[in-house]
This record gives sequence, structure tokens and C-alpha cells, in this order.
Amino acid sequence: MIKKLLIVDDSPIARKMLKSCLPKDQGFEFYEACDGKDGVEKYLSIRPDITFMDLTMPVMTGYEAIEEIMKHDKNALIIVVTADVQMKAITTVLDLGAYMVLRKPLKKEDLLAAIMKAQDTLQKVQ
Amino acid sequence: MMEIHENQILTSEEGEILQEIMNIAFGKSAADLADVIDTHVVLSIPFIKIMQVTELPMYIREHVKDYKKISIVEQNFWGRFKGDALLVFSSGSGKELIAMLQHGPGEISSFESDPIDILERETLMEVGNILIGACVGKLAELLKDVVTYTPPMVVVERYYTDALSERQFDVDKTAIVLKTDFSFTEGNVSGFLFLVTNNDSIKWLKEALRIFIEQYE
Amino acid sequence: MFQQIFDAINIGIVILDKDMKVHGWNRWMEVHSGIAEHEIKGSSFFNTFPHLNNPKFVRSCKSVFSFGNFCFFSQKLHHHLFPFKTTSYADFRFEFMQQSCAMGPLRDENNEIKYLFIYVQDVTEVAAYEQKLLEINMRDGLTGIYNRRFLESKLSEEFNRHQRYGGVFSLVMLDIDFFKKVNDTHGHQCGDFILKAVSSRVASIIRNVDYLARYGGEEFCCLLPETGIPAALTVAERFRAAIEQQETNYDGEIIKVTISLGVSEFRKGIESAEMMVKKADEALYRAKREGRNKVVVMD
Repeated sequence: MIKKLLIVDDSPIARKMLKSCLPKDQGFEFYEACDGKDGVEKYLSIRPDITFMDLTMPVMTGYEAIEEIMKHDKNALIIVVTADVQMKAITTVLDLGAYMVLRKPLKKEDLLAAIMKAQDTLQKVQ
Repeated sequence: MMEIHENQILTSEEGEILQEIMNIAFGKSAADLADVIDTHVVLSIPFIKIMQVTELPMYIREHVKDYKKISIVEQNFWGRFKGDALLVFSSGSGKELIAMLQHGPGEISSFESDPIDILERETLMEVGNILIGACVGKLAELLKDVVTYTPPMVVVERYYTDALSERQFDVDKTAIVLKTDFSFTEGNVSGFLFLVTNNDSIKWLKEALRIFIEQYE
Repeated sequence: MFQQIFDAINIGIVILDKDMKVHGWNRWMEVHSGIAEHEIKGSSFFNTFPHLNNPKFVRSCKSVFSFGNFCFFSQKLHHHLFPFKTTSYADFRFEFMQQSCAMGPLRDENNEIKYLFIYVQDVTEVAAYEQKLLEINMRDGLTGIYNRRFLESKLSEEFNRHQRYGGVFSLVMLDIDFFKKVNDTHGHQCGDFILKAVSSRVASIIRNVDYLARYGGEEFCCLLPETGIPAALTVAERFRAAIEQQETNYDGEIIKVTISLGVSEFRKGIESAEMMVKKADEALYRAKREGRNKVVVMD
């Protein structure tokens, strides 16, 4: 079951928006990180089921963070949440090993569908 | 990226929401621009600053001082969100853009004797109109507003001190400056976009930000 | 009820959908194009107006649909979007109706952009009037060649361009010798006659790209684009010889005049358009001092 969710975004508002799009009754545990470096560290200590990752962040970008996390855990489920929706950005993160890309502003339906898909993938892996 | 002083016109939360909306708006603009003008556009994360209007010419000058000469496209927009958009291109941008957009000579004719200058003007105006429309339009759309625009005005290849001293800004006390720098991956074109709005828009903006974030509460 | 405005208004209105099919075509468009709305409605806009299937127009449409902005097609730059006949018979200046056009978005109740509109304004009369004014403004009333103001603006344009892109151009200043004597002996009307005769003779020699202007009383100035000193000197010498040979018949009397000329060229060290005039003027006065009916080049 998906339980631990890590949200990596430098904007507290963006983190809040993402949380608000998720159902309250599923018993999710939320963890937050405010840049790529913080994200990698939290990933390694928490080992979340899903990581939501913004791309443009100070200190370490989302691109670098994905690369770093994938080095440690090739099964990591990273969902990129970004305002940059150009094809180039999307193909780059998928090549780096991201699980999928969601566009900002987030829609509840899209987010739920993504989590359900991740749930299936997770079960298959286990 | 947020810097707010001047007796807290926006609260820090409002500032953060505006920043996030700008990020989203400009991300979408860049993607759609790539489709409209067939080239990849890099838009930086917008920087928001609130200042007195009288400080504005100095502020803009400070940002463009590396450019010897500049071209400016200016357009007013008005909806409930209203203001002035200034797009500042570095020297030589007009010619680069002509090459990029492959304007055929047959597309434009004119009374004037110098077709290159006319073409340069026209191209700056067209790209300016599209860039401003993309950025302002997406921002307004996210805030559920609809804006219209005046025809663009253009100043081509002037020394930046001359070009800016001619600008006259409404002395209405406060300006919200949204600054982004852009560049085209094909071609050596870059510059800044400044959106200057005044007090009239701030009340509406605060309300629109509140409504926007309510969806997520 | 308000729908009536669509057909009553003296402006052309075209509505296109996202597939660039014509959705609306008002009465004004019917009248000027000769195409009825029912004939064009539902068909592809570019079938009827293939010349508008160009990158700039297509980009403008895409941009209106994606961003909801407005695009403008000024008469000054485009002359017209739609090739319609002019309605005015008095003016043959333009082959086609001069138009000022713009396009913008049409939204549904959810603010979604469904169509774009193009409006077309007939500005032929204004444009004709403007052009007439421009022409009056740049001509010398007596001789019909360009006036000093026009030459000075051309000169500074040319100067700025050469400063940016390099290259060369020249100025020839010329002045009728002993003109005061002509006026004193034969009267001012004769003087005017001579001014016209000299200017039209010189004008018949210059190339299409050159600009000849009356600079002051009996002083003329000729701007020669893309021309260096050697070629400008040849041109000036031809002016001089032509006027020397010219015999003007005024009221049965044959009058002959000569001209003195000074030539300057755009080169390094010349910092302004005024300086070019000054250099040519200095050369002209040397020609006067050295006996007149002569060409002198700047040093």
C-alpha cells in the first residue's frame, strides 16, 4: 500500500496545493523538502513510496535530484510536477528515470489516477 | 525569488501564491510559444518586486545596462488586471528574429525607403505582441480574468538611456514589477519582460489570489 | 436584435473557427469582395485567400487562439489584407483599398476561445490624404524637386545606416554663379525661371536612387547613395558641363549661367550628417574662390 509521500518543491504554497489535492481519508503520511538536495536526503532517510518532484529549485534542481535518487534506488517512483510543459523537459526527466510527469496547476483527477497507477506498479514490483 | 517591502502591499502568503501562479503561467506560455513561433523559448522563473513608480526607470536601467543598445516593445493591457508591458530586447535581436521567423520579403511592403528597418520594426512588434500576449494572457487566464491589448508601440535600436528616459510612467504610487528574462535556443536573442501594474489592480489581484488558493483549501 | 449591427456597421468583419473555416462574413465583406456569406461560410478561408496562408498570418491566428491576444495589421506596413477595389474614383494613387486590420479572440460563456474575428477598416482616403501631405511636405514649391527638410532627413537616415553597416555615399553641393546679377538685370521672375531650368537639367542627369533638393536660395544639394568620391566627381563634372552648355530662352533673350560645385564623402572621422554638409560647403566655396564654374572635392 502507498503510505509515505515525499513532496519536493521550493514553494510552500505549491506543497500545500499538492497536499490539498489528495484525499484526507487514505492515511497518507506527508514529508516535505524545500530543494533538490533536501529532497535526496529525505528520500534516503524516509524511503517514501512516491516522491513528487518540482524541477526548477534552488541549491539542487529536480533534474539532478532525480539522477541522484535513481543512483541509490532504481525502483524509486518519482512523479515530476512541473510548470515547464515543453516536450524537451518531459523527455529529459523520463530519460533520467522519472515515473511520470504531471503538469501544474494540478488537477485532483490527474493526481489520483497517477497514484492508482503507481499502486499497480508497486504491487507488480513486490 | 520574492522580494517584498514597501509596507507590505501583498502579504507573504499572497506573494508566494503569485509567484507560484507566475511559474505556472510562464511555463505554459513557453510551451505554447514553441508551438506558435516554432522555436524553443526559455523563460526564467519570474521575479516579483514591488516598488514606487518613480524608482522604476532606474530599476529597468540597472537590468539592461549590459546592453549598449536596446529595442523596446510596449503594450498596455486591460482587464480587471491592467497595466503596461515592456519588452526589452538586446541589440541586434530584430535581425536575429527576422532570420529565425524567415519573413519573406513579399510579406511586407511599404512606402518607406528602407525595407530592412521596416522589417525589423515589424518583426520586433510581432514577436513582442506574441510574447506579451502569452505571458499576460496565461496569467490572466489562471486568475479568471480576460484582458485586451492596445496595439504595440516599438522603439528600435536606441541607446538604453535615451530609450528609457522617454518613457513616462503613471505616477500612481506603487508598481508591481514582474520581471522575466527570456532567450530563444535558436538564435542569439534575449531580453527582459517587465509588467508594471498600479494600485487599481492590486485590490483585484489580492481578491483573485484568494479565490485561486481557495480551490486548494 | 443586436445582430443587426454586424451587417449595418461600415467595417468588414470575418469570423474564423479553429480549422480556419469561415464562420461569419458580414454585409460589408459581401459588398467589397463580391462573395455572399452563404457562398463562403463553412469553406476554408485559405481557399479563397491563398495569399494569406503565409507564416506571419498563420502565426497571428495561432497566437490569438492560444493566448487570446490581439494582432494588428497596419495600413502603413501591409496596405491591405484583402485585395479589394478602391471605392473612390477621385484618387488613382492606390490600386487596392487601403486597410487597417486587427484580429482578436471570441470566447464562449466559459471564457474558452472558440473563434477569432478579423475586422477590416477602409482607410484609403486617410492614406491618400496622408501621402499627399507627405509629398507636399517634401517638395520645393518653385522647382518641384525635394526641399531642404526632406534632404536633411534622408541625409541623417543615410548617415546612421552607414555608421551601422559601413559603406560609402557622397554629397554634391552646387550654387549658381552670379545669380544676384541675373535677378538684378532680368528681374526676379527670370531668376525663378533660371532656378527651374537649372534644377530640371540637373534632375535629368541623376539616377533614380539619387536625391536632388533645393537647399537654399540658389543652392542645391544632391545625395548620391553607394557612391564614392571618384564617381561623385564624375557626376558633378557632368552637372557642371550640362549647365555650362545650357542656353535658356527667357522672353526671347538667351541667358547662360554656370554653377560651382563642392563634393564630400562619408568616411572615417566624419561624425555627423551636418559635418558632411559642412565639408561639401567648404569645397563649394573654394570652387567659388578659385574662379567658379568648377568642381572641388573635400580634402
